[in-house]
Amino acid sequence: MRIPCPFCGERDAQEFAYLGDATVERPDGDAPDALRAFHAYVYLRANPAGLHREYWHHVGGCRSWLVVTRDTRSHAVTAAELAGRKP
Amino acid sequence: MTRRLAIAGAVDPARPLGFTFDGRHYTGMAGDTLASALIANGVDLVGRSFKYHRPRGILSAGGEEPNALVELRSGARREPNVKATTIELYDGLEARSQNRWPSLRFDLMSLNSLFSPIFVAGFYYKTFMWPAAFWERVYEPLIRRAAGLGRVAAEADPDSYERAYAFCDVLVIGAGPTGLAAAQAAVRAGARVILCDEDFRPGGRLTLERLTISGEAGESWAAAVLAELAASGRVTIMPRTTVFGVYDHGTYGALERVADHLPAPPAHMPRQRLWRIVASRAVLAAGAVERPIGFGANDLPGIMLAGAVRGYINRFGALPGRRMALFTNNDDGWKTVADAAQAGIELAAVIDSRPSPPAELVAQRNAPASASLPAAKYARRSAVSACAPSRSAARMARRPACRSICSLCRAAGIRRLPCSRISASGRPGTGQLPPSCPRPGRAGWSRPVPPPGPSPSPPVWPTACAPALRPHLPAASSPSIVRCPRQRRKPRALSRSGGSRAAGARSSSISSTM
Repeated sequence: MRIPCPFCGERDAQEFAYLGDATVERPDGDAPDALRAFHAYVYLRANPAGLHREYWHHVGGCRSWLVVTRDTRSHAVTAAELAGRKP
Repeated sequence: MTRRLAIAGAVDPARPLGFTFDGRHYTGMAGDTLASALIANGVDLVGRSFKYHRPRGILSAGGEEPNALVELRSGARREPNVKATTIELYDGLEARSQNRWPSLRFDLMSLNSLFSPIFVAGFYYKTFMWPAAFWERVYEPLIRRAAGLGRVAAEADPDSYERAYAFCDVLVIGAGPTGLAAAQAAVRAGARVILCDEDFRPGGRLTLERLTISGEAGESWAAAVLAELAASGRVTIMPRTTVFGVYDHGTYGALERVADHLPAPPAHMPRQRLWRIVASRAVLAAGAVERPIGFGANDLPGIMLAGAVRGYINRFGALPGRRMALFTNNDDGWKTVADAAQAGIELAAVIDSRPSPPAELVAQRNAPASASLPAAKYARRSAVSACAPSRSAARMARRPACRSICSLCRAAGIRRLPCSRISASGRPGTGQLPPSCPRPGRAGWSRPVPPPGPSPSPPVWPTACAPALRPHLPAASSPSIVRCPRQRRKPRALSRSGGSRAAGARSSSISSTM
């Protein structure tokens, strides 16, 4: 698999480390249904057959955190952007 | 007894190489494979079959060899089950036959074939359970001893292996006529090209057949193209390199046998190198494999694919036999008539199982290139069965190949033809392959199916047959297993490692460091 890093260009997936799902967001702890929201945040993950957004760390390169949009069926990578920027 | 033609193609008579097979000394030439050197030295029997210990000879001239498996080298470098047809000969090569006791000619284990009606496929070996005490002391040791082919080395591997990466615009897999033409076209268009071939001599069938390309002899055409590729400076030509897998995003796995053609790797040279090649596009020009014909006892030494007979004559100048029968069911097999006549092989018979083979082919058998040879007998609508001179296993063991007799079954009855070699070329009839599974290519040849791999840009088939091909690659939209990337996924072909020690070593190191 090859991941197009915004800084380094297309690099082999061996240089990257996988963190996980980039679609989940930390819920507000003060909200009334915080317990349920945190349960979903910590434990529940979708397992989509298709496009999926996930965190990758370019450990063997520029060491930046990326959000990679990948098709889980074909491993086709459609986008890779810096993490921390809201889409 | 030497069976070498004076007009040897790609071997160098000025550089003789000594080697041993089962302890006996022979001489081959630079450019030989172990198989061609054995054939040139008149060695027909090279192994024993897995179960019944039937005698086995050399069937093919390439990587598709099923029979001629030998044990190569000794000590810590001993490697079992190596195809004799792919071993490049070097001075002092040491090879042994395997799965026989006490010797290859006289193999006591071939008694098994007498009991073949009992020891059928799926035979339950725990049938030998009485008396109970015998199982552990007698039966099991015997059965275990009889099973398996070669022996692996007991010591640690003394050689080193390495990993390497390469990048190119076009990866051409196979350096036969198609691969060379594809590489030439890509280079002329300005692309960076890697050209891989598993053989040590590029050219593919051009080295094995007497072919012409636009009026030029195939070998010289190949040499001219290779010179052009080398001069362009944009091509990496990798001989002795097998591309074994396609992975995501145009990544290809390849194994380069860096020092397998040397007695031992020199200092600081790895024995084999695992390449990870990233290519924008790939051309799969892996060629085709000739199909054998199924007939009685077609596994005996002395039976060889028709294309392999031509290959040993043209490339190595090695004569597979003095008197040969040709059995075919397609036009391609008939090519052997001219090459055999040129080499001075007497054709005992040409047997074509079709009701009406083309008349011009039939006429060709009457006009051999060498006028001193008699015209071959000819039969159509016929089948063939091979048999050794005697049915007894012991006799068969002693004289396995020297007089295979090809019997011609015609409506009138059975004729027996003594000959030292049967050359066979087959293609599936309607009953052998379902029509929904087309395997195009030349008559009598099948294309190898590319290694499966989920790839958005699968390798392209370069020929006009391409639309009819079913490369069995999963479509990009078809659902595949979603793996957790945190558990470092091992490439499938790597972890399978098909018998190669190096590939096995690589796969374990990849899984631990990736």
